Amino acid sequence: MRILSILLIMVLASAANAMEPISFNKQIRPILADRCFACHGPDSAQRVSDMRLDQQETTFMELPSGEFPVVKGKPNESELIHRIVSDDEELKMPPADSGKSLNKQEIELIKQWISEGAEWNQHWAYEAPQHSPVPRPIKKWQQNNPIDLFIQARLKQLRLRPENSADKETLIRRLTLDLTGLPATVEEIDHFLNDDSPEAYEQVVDRLLKSPRYGEHLARSWLDAARYADTHGLHLDNERSIWPYRDWVIRAFNDNMPFDKFTIEQLAGDLLPTPSLKNRVATGFNRCNVTTSEGGSIDEEYYVRYAVDRVETTATVWMGLTAGCAVCHDHKFDPLSQKEFYQLFSYFFSLTERAMDGNALLPPPVVKIPSESQTANQNRITGEMKQQAELVRKILAESKYTDPFSGDDYPAFEKSDRIWFDDMLPAGAKPAGNPGPWTFVEGPDHPVYSGKNSSTRTGNGLIQHFFTGATDPFVIAENDILFAYVYLDPDNPPETVQLQFNDGSWEHRAHWGADKAHGAGRNNASNKLLGPLPEVGKWVRLEVPAATVGLKPGAKLNGWAFTQFGGTVHWDQAGAMGALQLSPQQKESYAIWEYFLKTVSTAALPDPIKKLVAVEADQRNEAQTKQLMTYYLENVNPVTMALLAPPNQKQAELKKELDAIQKAIPSTLVMEDRKEPRVAHILERGEYTEKRDAVESAVPAWLGESPVDAPQNRMGLAQWLVSPTHPLTARVTVNRYWQHYFGTGLVKTSEDFGVQGERPSHPELLDWLALSFIESGWDVKQFQKLIVMSSTYQQSSRITPSKHTLDPQNRLVSHGPRFRLDAEVIRDQVLAISGLMIPTIGGKSVKPYQPAGLWKPVGFGGSNTSVFKQDTGEKLYRRSMYTFWKRTVPPPTMSIFDAPNRETCQVRRTRTNTPLQALVLMNDVQFVEAARRFAELVVTHGGDQVDQRIVYLYRSVLARNPKPNELQLVTQLYNEHLAEFQEQPEAAKSLVSTGESVRNESLDQTELAAWTMIVHLIFNLSETVTKG
Amino acid sequence: MNPIREAELIETRRHFFGRAATGLGAAALTSLMNPGAFASSTASALDAPHFAPKAKRVIYLFMSGAPSQLDMWDYKPKMQEWYDKDLPDSVRNGQRITTMTSGQKRFPIAPSTFQFKQHGQHGAWISELLPHTAGVIDDLAVIRTVNTEAINHDPAITYIQTGSQLPGRPSTGAWLSYGLGSMNENLPAFVVLHSTVNGGFGGQALYARLWGSGWLSTRHQGVSLRSTGDPVLYLSNPNGISSKMRRKMLDRLALLNQDRFDDVGDPEIQSRIAQYEMAYRMQTSVPELTDISGETQSTLDMYGPDVMKPGTFAANCLLARRLAERDVRFTQVFIRQWDQHGNLPKDIRRQCGIIDQPCAALINDLKQRGMLEDTLVIWGGEFGRTIYCQGGLTKTNYGRDHHPRCYTKWMAGGGIQGGVVYGETDDFSYNVQENPVHIHDLNATMLHCLGVNHEQLTFKHQGRQFRLTDVHGKVVKPILA
Repeated sequence: MRILSILLIMVLASAANAMEPISFNKQIRPILADRCFACHGPDSAQRVSDMRLDQQETTFMELPSGEFPVVKGKPNESELIHRIVSDDEELKMPPADSGKSLNKQEIELIKQWISEGAEWNQHWAYEAPQHSPVPRPIKKWQQNNPIDLFIQARLKQLRLRPENSADKETLIRRLTLDLTGLPATVEEIDHFLNDDSPEAYEQVVDRLLKSPRYGEHLARSWLDAARYADTHGLHLDNERSIWPYRDWVIRAFNDNMPFDKFTIEQLAGDLLPTPSLKNRVATGFNRCNVTTSEGGSIDEEYYVRYAVDRVETTATVWMGLTAGCAVCHDHKFDPLSQKEFYQLFSYFFSLTERAMDGNALLPPPVVKIPSESQTANQNRITGEMKQQAELVRKILAESKYTDPFSGDDYPAFEKSDRIWFDDMLPAGAKPAGNPGPWTFVEGPDHPVYSGKNSSTRTGNGLIQHFFTGATDPFVIAENDILFAYVYLDPDNPPETVQLQFNDGSWEHRAHWGADKAHGAGRNNASNKLLGPLPEVGKWVRLEVPAATVGLKPGAKLNGWAFTQFGGTVHWDQAGAMGALQLSPQQKESYAIWEYFLKTVSTAALPDPIKKLVAVEADQRNEAQTKQLMTYYLENVNPVTMALLAPPNQKQAELKKELDAIQKAIPSTLVMEDRKEPRVAHILERGEYTEKRDAVESAVPAWLGESPVDAPQNRMGLAQWLVSPTHPLTARVTVNRYWQHYFGTGLVKTSEDFGVQGERPSHPELLDWLALSFIESGWDVKQFQKLIVMSSTYQQSSRITPSKHTLDPQNRLVSHGPRFRLDAEVIRDQVLAISGLMIPTIGGKSVKPYQPAGLWKPVGFGGSNTSVFKQDTGEKLYRRSMYTFWKRTVPPPTMSIFDAPNRETCQVRRTRTNTPLQALVLMNDVQFVEAARRFAELVVTHGGDQVDQRIVYLYRSVLARNPKPNELQLVTQLYNEHLAEFQEQPEAAKSLVSTGESVRNESLDQTELAAWTMIVHLIFNLSETVTKG
Repeated sequence: MNPIREAELIETRRHFFGRAATGLGAAALTSLMNPGAFASSTASALDAPHFAPKAKRVIYLFMSGAPSQLDMWDYKPKMQEWYDKDLPDSVRNGQRITTMTSGQKRFPIAPSTFQFKQHGQHGAWISELLPHTAGVIDDLAVIRTVNTEAINHDPAITYIQTGSQLPGRPSTGAWLSYGLGSMNENLPAFVVLHSTVNGGFGGQALYARLWGSGWLSTRHQGVSLRSTGDPVLYLSNPNGISSKMRRKMLDRLALLNQDRFDDVGDPEIQSRIAQYEMAYRMQTSVPELTDISGETQSTLDMYGPDVMKPGTFAANCLLARRLAERDVRFTQVFIRQWDQHGNLPKDIRRQCGIIDQPCAALINDLKQRGMLEDTLVIWGGEFGRTIYCQGGLTKTNYGRDHHPRCYTKWMAGGGIQGGVVYGETDDFSYNVQENPVHIHDLNATMLHCLGVNHEQLTFKHQGRQFRLTDVHGKVVKPILA
C-alpha cells in the first residue's frame, strides 16, 4: 500500500515536473519545514543560529559569517547546499542527532529550485484564496458545474477517466444518506425512479435540503468539532445541561443560517448589541470544553487550561491552525508566536465562569430557555392566579367584619404543652432501633413519668430507638421549645443522651453530656450541646428550643430519636411547649389580636405588617388600617379564613403548577465576560505559575488585519475570522464539507492547514470553492447543493483495480465516494427502516440500550453518572445524536464505530473496520430488535410471496432490487431458518422477544423469527453500512 | 480466491490485530493513515524494533488513587521521632500542595504505623503489609523516586497513562498496539481489566481516555474484558440464535459480501468479511480465555481464595497471565480505592490484603512458566502520598494527601534487573535526593524493554510528531538487566 501511495505521489510529481518549474510551496517548503524549521524556523527559543529558513528575507540575507543561505540561481554559492551535501559530521545538516536526514532526490530538488531562481512564496494557506481560470471542459465528459472542470482537468492530466453517473437507485441512497443521515424510503425511491424529467435529481436535492433531518445530520459533525457532550468530562464527570446549544446548532443548519452569522453567534453572540436568548445559547460552543471540580485542584491552573482549550478549538475549527503548539513556545513550523497565542488566549480568559464547575448540572453563567408552550402555560397560570386573587378581594369586601370583643378587659395569655406522643407513638410512625426494637416498660416496677409506660434501652456504645414516617406531622410553631422526659438509671448512667428530630433530614440534634453521639465534634444545629448529663435517678424534663437545632416555624416533624451512649435510660412523654398563643376564639377578635401583637410578639408577621403594627392605631392612615385588617382577615380570623379557603387552595395549586413549570424550563451554559477583565500573560512553557509579559487580546496580524471597526473582544475575533479577506476560514470550512461527501478533504489534514499539514490535492478548486462560498454570502445549503449537483459527486463508486492501484484513497475523485457510514448513521438507518425511530428533534439527551455494568466499574461513587439507568419507551429510539454522551465512558456502539469521545475538538474521524464492529451488528439488542420490527413490516407490507418480501427488504435497506443469485440465496436461507425455527419454537420465541418494543402478536412466531434472521443478515451486509 | 485478493485479505486482517509477530512494522500503517508528501524518508514509526526487545508484552498493575509509599516501600525510621512535629518549611520549600490541605494550619508528621523488615539478597526494606511481595523481592526493581507534576487524580492518571495531563492523547497500550502491533489473531492487542474491591466498585474515577487511542486509529484502543455480562461487549449471540445458525448466517453473509466485492471492487468489503470471521473466532477464544477450570489447584492456591471470584484483583492477575500466554501485547489491570486521605492505616491494610498475594503469585506463575523473561510487569499508581497528616493525627490513625514529588513503583521481568532498589528520597520521603525517575522516564524505560526507542515511536498529528514521552524521558539504565 505504502509503495503504491508513493507511486501516486511520484506520478503526481512527475506530471507536475513535466509542465511546471519547481514549486516552492508544493515541493520545497515541506522539506525545509520538516527537516530544518525545528532549529531554523519560527521558534525563537530553539533557533540555534542566525540562519532562518521560514522567512523570505532571512533566507536570502547575508549571515554574520559572510555567507548566504540561498543565492538565487547559484546552488554552489548557497550555504544551505554546502551544508546538506557536506560529508563533514560537524557541518552536515540536518545533524545526525536530530534523527532527520535528506535523501538524494530531496537534495536534487532543492538544488534545482535554487538553480531556477529560488522563487519564494508565503505558505499557500496564509495567502488569500485566488481566483484561477476555470479549466476548459473536456469533450464527451459530463460537467455540471466548475467542480467537475477542476477535477476532470487533473484526471485528464493523469490520463484517467471519470466514472459514469451512478444509477438512480444508488444516487438517491447516497444523496439521502449524505444530506439527512437516513435512508430513502421505498416511496421516495419510486418517486425518483418514476420521474424522468431532467430536474428529477435536483428536486430530490431540494426536498432533502428542506428536511429537518438535514439540520440534524450536519449538526452532528459540527458537534464533534465543538466537543459537545452531556457530562463535564473530568473527574466526577457529572451531568451537564448544554443540550439547548446542540438544538441551536440543528436549527441554525435547518434555517440555513449563513456561516458568518453562525460563527459570530457562537463565538460572541453575547456581545451583539442586543443579544437575544438564542444568540446567548449559541455561545455554548465555547462552554462545551471539559471542566473539573476535583478536590484539591488549583483554580488558576484551570482558568488557564480552559482558555487554552478554547483557543485550540477555535483555531482548529475556523483556521485549521495548530495553535496548541504555541502554548509552550513559538510555533516550530507556522509563524504563530507564543505571544500571539496568548493574545488569542486573552479573548477567552475573562469569563465569569468559575474554575471549579461544582459538579453542577448548570455551572454559571447559564440562561433559562422556556419553550413556547412553557411560556404560554406560565402566562395562563399567572392569569388564573390573578382571578383567584380577585375572588379573595371580593369575598373580603363582602364580609362585613364586626369585632366580637369590646372594652379593654384583655385576656391573659398562657403557655401550654403540645404533647406529640405519650404511651403510644404517633399515627404512621415506623419504630426502629439499633440494636433491637423499642422496649416499653410499665410502673410501678419501672420508672414512668406519665401514662402507663415509658420506653427504655440498655447497652454499650452509641445506641438508640427512633421512629420516622408519622403521617400527621408535628408542626413547629414560633418560639416552640421541644421537650421530652428522661430518667437515667443511677446504677448504670449513660455518658451521653441525645434527642434527634426528623423533618425529612436528621440533621437536627441536641445532646447532654459527653460529645459522643451522632454528629460528634460539631456543636451546631446538627448536634447542639445543651448542658451536662441530667441528674440521675429522677425524671428530668429536657428542653430544646426548636431554633437552636435549626427547626424553623412551619417545619414538620415526622420522626424522633432517643439516643444514648451506654447505660440505661428511660424516656417518656414528648412534644413541644408552645410559646404564648391565641386561642381560636380569641383570634376572632381583631382587637385581641392586635393587643397580643403589641404585648407579646410580632415575630410571626411578615416585615411590612410588623411595620404597620408598630405604628400607633390612631397614627395609621386609611390605607394602612385597611391593609392591616385585610391581613388579619386573610391570615388570622378563622371565620373569614374558612370563607377564603377555596380560592386560597386554588391559588396554592396554581403556584405549585407554576413552580413545576419553572423547574422544568431547561437552562444551558453560555459565555459571559467579567466586568473587570483578567489580565493575560505569556506563560513560560505554558505553566500557569510562570507569568511573563502581560498581553492584550489581539489577532495574529500575519493572517490579515482586523476589520476597521472590530472591537477588541471576542466579537472582534469573530468578525476577523469571517472577514472576506481571511485566508483560512472559508477554505477550512468548505474543506470540511468536501470531507463530509467524499470521505477525505481536498486538504486531507482538515485539522491542519499549516506548513506541516498536507497540501491540497486540488488547490485551485479549493480556492474556487472558498471564494464561491464567501461570494454566496456564506450560504451553507447552497454550498451543499453545489457539491451534490456536480457530476463528480454523482459518479459511480465502482473501483477498478487500476484506479485502486494508482489512487487507493481516491484523492483524485476518479470515481464516486465510497466509505463506511458513521456510527450514528449506522444505528439511525436501522431505526428508520424498522419504523422504530422517534422523529422528535432536540431536547434532553436519552439513554438507549447499553450493556449493563459499563459505568460502575470506572465511575466515582459520588458521581451522578456512576450508575447507568436505561430509558424506556420512545427514548430508546431517538436518533443517535441524542444519546446521552458521558465523556469518560462514551456509548460503546458509537465509539466502536469510531465516534470520538468528545473530550477535545475533532474535525476528522478515523474510519476502521474491526471485529468489534461485527459483534455490534451481530449481537447488539438494538440491531436485533430493529431486524425483528422490520421483519414484521416485511410480512405485513412486503407482499405474500417470499420473493416479493425479499425484494421489499432489499429495496428498503439498499434502495435496489436483489439480483437473481441474491434472491435465490436469501430465499433458500429463509427456508432453512424457517425449518429450524419450526423445530425449535422456543428459539423462535426468544428471538422475536428481543427488545422492549411491542411485538405484533398476530404474526406467526416461527415465520417472524425466520424473517428476523433474514433482515438481520441484510443489516449486516457490508453494503448496508457503506455509502456507495 | 486469486492471490491479489488473498494478499489484501491478509493485509486487512492485520489492520485490527496489528501485525503478525513476523511482520512487525507500523511504518506501513503510518503511511496508510497519514501519508504526507515525502514522508517516507523520515517516517519514524517502527519498521522493526529499534533493538532486540527483552520483553514481548506488558502486564501493568495499576493502583488507582495513589498508594502510600511511606507505609509500603519507602522506609523512614527517623520519622518516629518526628511524630506530630511540623514538616520543616525547608523541606516543603514552597512547593505547591493541593487545596485539600493547603488551608491546614499545621503539617504534622505522621510516621508510618507499620513495621518494616529487610528482605531478599540485598536486604530491601518492605513493610509488613506486603509479606508475599517481599517473597519475590529479588525479582523486582523497586523505584522509590518516581515523580510527576500533577497533584490531582484526573490530571495525574491521564499524565502517566498518556504523557499529557490533558485529555486527547493516546494511552500507553494504544501506543504499543500502534507501534508493535498484535502477536495473535484472536484477541485484541490491548486488554483492560477492572477489579472489584470487597465485591463492589468505588474509589477515584477512571476514564475511557486512559485506554483510549487519542488521535491514533480507534483500532488501537484498549478492549475491556469484563467480569459480568459479556466478557467482551456484544460477544454473545442474541437469544434464540444458536451458534450453528450464526455460522450459517456468516457463511451466507460472506457469499453476499464477496458477490458485492466482485461487482464494485472495494477492498474494504474483503476486510469486513475477515472481521466477521475474527468476530466469530472471538466468540470461541474469549470464553476459552476466561474459563479457568483447567488451572491446577496449586496455581489457584498461589493467587489466593479470591481467584475464584470473577472480577477480583486475584482473578484478574490470573487472567493477565492467561492473556500473556496468548500473546496479548498489553494488559492493564486497574484496582481502585487507594486514595486514603483519612483512616489510612485501616484502609491500606485492606488494599494490601487484596493485592499482595496475587502480585507475588503473578510473578511466580510467570516465572514457573518461563514467561517472566519476556513479560514486563509494572506495579504502581499515579503519584504518592504526603508524610504530613491530612485531618486528625493520632498514634494509630492518620490520613495522607497527594504527593507528586516522589513515590514508589516497581518493575519486574523482561529486561529488568531483579533485586534492585533504585533512587533515594530524603528523610521525609518528600523530595528526591538521588536518581529521580520522572514518569516519562518510566515510560521510556518500559518502551526500551520492548525494543523501542521512545524518541522514535512517533505519530504525526496536527503537524507535529507526537510521542508517548512528549519531549522528555530518559531510559533508567541502572535497573535494566
